[in-house]
Amino acid sequence: MLTEYGTKHAVHVITNHFGDLVAKVCECLLRKGPLTRQNIKRYTELSDEQVKNALLVLIQQNCVQAFTTQQPDGFADGPKANTQYVVLFDNILHRVRFAKFLTILSQEFDQQCVELVQGLLEHGRLTLKQMFDRAKSSEKEGNLVDLDSVRETLVKLVTAHYVERCPASEPLLMPISEEEGPARKKGSKSAKEQEQQSFTYVDVFCNYVLIRDQSARAIFFFCLSYNNRANYLMKISRAKIGEPETIEQQVVEAALPMEAMRFSVVTNVESDVGEKEKNSNNVTPGEKRKHDVFDLDECGVADEQSVVYRANFEEFIRRLRHKGCIDHVRAHLDDGAANVLSAMLQATSSVEKKVKTKNSVPLSLSSIYEEVIKSEAGRNMTLDHVRASLVQLGELSFVDASSDSYSIDFEKIIEIAQNEEVESVVSKRYGRDAYRIFRLLSKSGRLLETDKISDTTFVEKKDAPKILYKLWKDGYLLMEKLVVTGARQSQFLLWKVNRQILWKHVLDEMFHAALNLSLRVAYELDREKELLNLPADKRTGPLQDRYNRIRKVRILLESSQMKLDDAILLFHDF
Amino acid sequence: MSKRKRLDSNAPSDSLTDHERLIYDVIRSKQDMGIWTRDMKRELKVNLPDNIVTKSIKSLQNKSLIKEVVNIHNKGKKHLMAVEFEPSKEISGGAWYSEGSLDTEFIKVVKSQCLKQIIKVKVATLEGISDSIKRSGAFKVDLTKQQTEEIVRALVLDNQIMEVKSNGSGEFTNIPVGKVCYKNVSKGGGGGEPKTGSLASVPCGVCPQINICTPDGVISPKTCVYYTKWEAFRLWEKQPRKRWWTKRK
Repeated sequence: MLTEYGTKHAVHVITNHFGDLVAKVCECLLRKGPLTRQNIKRYTELSDEQVKNALLVLIQQNCVQAFTTQQPDGFADGPKANTQYVVLFDNILHRVRFAKFLTILSQEFDQQCVELVQGLLEHGRLTLKQMFDRAKSSEKEGNLVDLDSVRETLVKLVTAHYVERCPASEPLLMPISEEEGPARKKGSKSAKEQEQQSFTYVDVFCNYVLIRDQSARAIFFFCLSYNNRANYLMKISRAKIGEPETIEQQVVEAALPMEAMRFSVVTNVESDVGEKEKNSNNVTPGEKRKHDVFDLDECGVADEQSVVYRANFEEFIRRLRHKGCIDHVRAHLDDGAANVLSAMLQATSSVEKKVKTKNSVPLSLSSIYEEVIKSEAGRNMTLDHVRASLVQLGELSFVDASSDSYSIDFEKIIEIAQNEEVESVVSKRYGRDAYRIFRLLSKSGRLLETDKISDTTFVEKKDAPKILYKLWKDGYLLMEKLVVTGARQSQFLLWKVNRQILWKHVLDEMFHAALNLSLRVAYELDREKELLNLPADKRTGPLQDRYNRIRKVRILLESSQMKLDDAILLFHDF
Repeated sequence: MSKRKRLDSNAPSDSLTDHERLIYDVIRSKQDMGIWTRDMKRELKVNLPDNIVTKSIKSLQNKSLIKEVVNIHNKGKKHLMAVEFEPSKEISGGAWYSEGSLDTEFIKVVKSQCLKQIIKVKVATLEGISDSIKRSGAFKVDLTKQQTEEIVRALVLDNQIMEVKSNGSGEFTNIPVGKVCYKNVSKGGGGGEPKTGSLASVPCGVCPQINICTPDGVISPKTCVYYTKWEAFRLWEKQPRKRWWTKRK
C-alpha cells in the first residue's frame, strides 16, 4: 500500500543509507512506477552513468528489480524486448528492521550465522566466496575460518529459509489475459529462450543433487515445467476473479527461482564423489563418468563465485508476524495461552506457503500437547491446562475449533490488534467519548444516525455531533446526509467507519510519524554535533549533563522508531 | 410515557382571554412533544403581536396551565408544554437525562453496579445482571431490562466487558449453549483504559496538527513544541526520584 508519506519515508530511508543521487532515482521510480533506464534519465535529469550506478546500488541492495516486457513493434524486427525497473517498496521498509531480523536469528542460531546474515543485510547480495572473504577479514585470533565452515553455516541458514538464492536478474513479464494461455507463448522466441534457460538450471541442479540418469532429469524437468504452468494458470484465474496484483508483485513472482533452486546451496561434492568412486564396485569406471566429476568440480568452483545469495525477508517477516500474534495473545490472555499458540505455530509454520496466511493447518489436541511439552515454558502444562487455554483462545476467536481439531485464525488476531491500535489513537487524540463512538461505529460496520449514536454511547446530544465532525474532518469517519422531505424537510447525518479507507489513512499517518521521528533524531544529533565530537575526557560538568541528555534522547527516539515500526508491520506487512 | 391528569370542572382554563385560549390550544395540541415559542407563533391562525404573545404565555404559566420544559436538542430554545403532559423521550432524552442534561453520575453508578455483578459471577447473562440489580435495591427506581441492556452495551463499548457466546461447558455450565453472555475483559483491556498503541505513544500519533506538519514547513518535527515537551517529560519520567522517607531523614 503506497501512500504519500510512505513514499516520503522510503525516500528518506534511501537518502540516509545511500545518499541523494540514489534517492532521486528511487523517488522517481516510487512516484512514476516501472520505468526504462532512458525514462529514468529523462525524469531525473541525471547522466546515464549516474542512473546506471544508482540502479546498480538499488539492485544490489534488493530495492529495485529489473524485468523485461515485450512490446509489439510495428517494424519488421518483430516484438522488441524492453528492460524496465520497478522499485520494491517493501524491501526499502525492511532496511530499518535489520536489527529485528538479527535478533530473531540470534535466538535460533550461533554468532557465525548472525554475522553471515549481517553481511548479507549490509551488502545486499553476496556469493559464497565473498561471504568467506568477509568472514576471513573479521577472523579473530584462535578462531580460524575455513570455506567449509562458511558453507556449512550457509547451508544451515538456507535450510531454515533465512537465506535464499537471488531472484532472476531480468525475468520476462508476460501479460496476463484470458486469450493468451501458456500454449500461445510456446512458439515465441523468448518463451523458447526461457525453456532453454530452465533446461540449463535443471542441468546444473541435477549435477548438484547427483541425478545422472537422463530419464530422471527429464521427469524432473517435466515436474518443474508443470509447476510453472500451474502457477501461470493460477495467475490467470486470479486475474479472472478480480484479485488485483500490482506490477511489483508480478515481477517479484516472476523473478523468484523454483522452490528447490531458491533454497539450494553449492555443496562441496568433490570429496563425497571421490569416496563413492573409490568404494563403488558396481559402477564401471569410464570416460563419461570421469568427465562428469570433472564438470561437477569445475561447476562448483564457478558457482561459489557466481551464485549470489541474499537474506530472505519473507521468512523474517513471517517470524515477526508469529511473534506479533504470540505477544498479542499474551497481552490479552496469559502465558499459558501464549505457549499453546507458540507451539501451534511451531508445528504448522513449515507448511505455510506465504506470509499473509489466513489460517494455520488444523491440529489435534494431542499433537498440540506434544508440541507444547517440547518447549521449556510449556513443560509444566498439563493436558487440561492446554485444553483450557484452547477454550480461552476460542472465546476470543483467535483459534477455530471444529471436530477436535484446532487452527489459528491469523486474520482475526491481526484484525483485533489493528483495531486496538486505531482505537488507542482515537482515545488519546479525541477523548473517551470519541473512543466509545468510534468503537460503536467500527463494530456495527454500517451507517448510524447521530441521535442513535449519542443514545447508545451515552454522549450528550450536543457533544456527539461535534465529536463526529472532528473524526470525520480528520478522515476517521465517513458521513452521509439523508434529507427527508415531508410536511417539514429534515436532514439527518449518518456516520460510518470504512475500514479500507481508514486503514490506509492510519498507515499514512504512521509513515508520517516514522519520518518525523527520523528527522527529529537527525535534528537532535545535528544540534549537539560539536558536543558529540568532543573526546570523553573533555566532557565535564554541564557538558557531561548535556551529553547524557542527548544520549538518552537518542535512545528514546530510536526505541520509539522501533516500536512504531511494529505498528507499520501490523498494518502493512501482516 | 406521558400521563394525562384528571381535569376538574373549575379548571383555570375556563377563565382565559381569547388570545390565551388560542395559544393554549396550540400548545396543548402538541401533547407531550411541546412546542418552541417561535414555531407556536407561526402556527397561530391570527397574527398576534409579540408583546401580547409574551404576556399571554406568562399569564398561562401563572395559571399553571403550561410549563417550560428543557429540550435536550437545544437547551437555549424556550419550549412550552401543557402541564398535564410529561415531556416525551425525544424532548427529555429518556431515563438517562435529568433536567435536560445527561445524568452522568447516575449512569456511572449503574455501570459500576453492573460491572461488579459481572466480576462477581465471572460470566453473566443480561437477565442475571438485571435481576441481581433489582434484588440489591441499590436504586430507588427499578431499571427495566432494556435500560440494563443499554448500560451493558455501553460497558462493552468502554471495553470493560466483552460479549461471548456460551458453549455450555466450563464456566458456562449453567447457561444454555449459544446464549449471549458478558465477561470481564481480562488484563488486555486494562480495566477499560485502552492500551496505548505504538502510534499513540509518539507525539505525532496524538498531534492535532499532524495534517499541516511537513518536513520544512512552519510546523515541522524540528520546530515541534510537542516533541520538546515529550522528550523532557519522558526523560524526567525515567529519572530516579528521591523517596519520601529520604526527605524526612
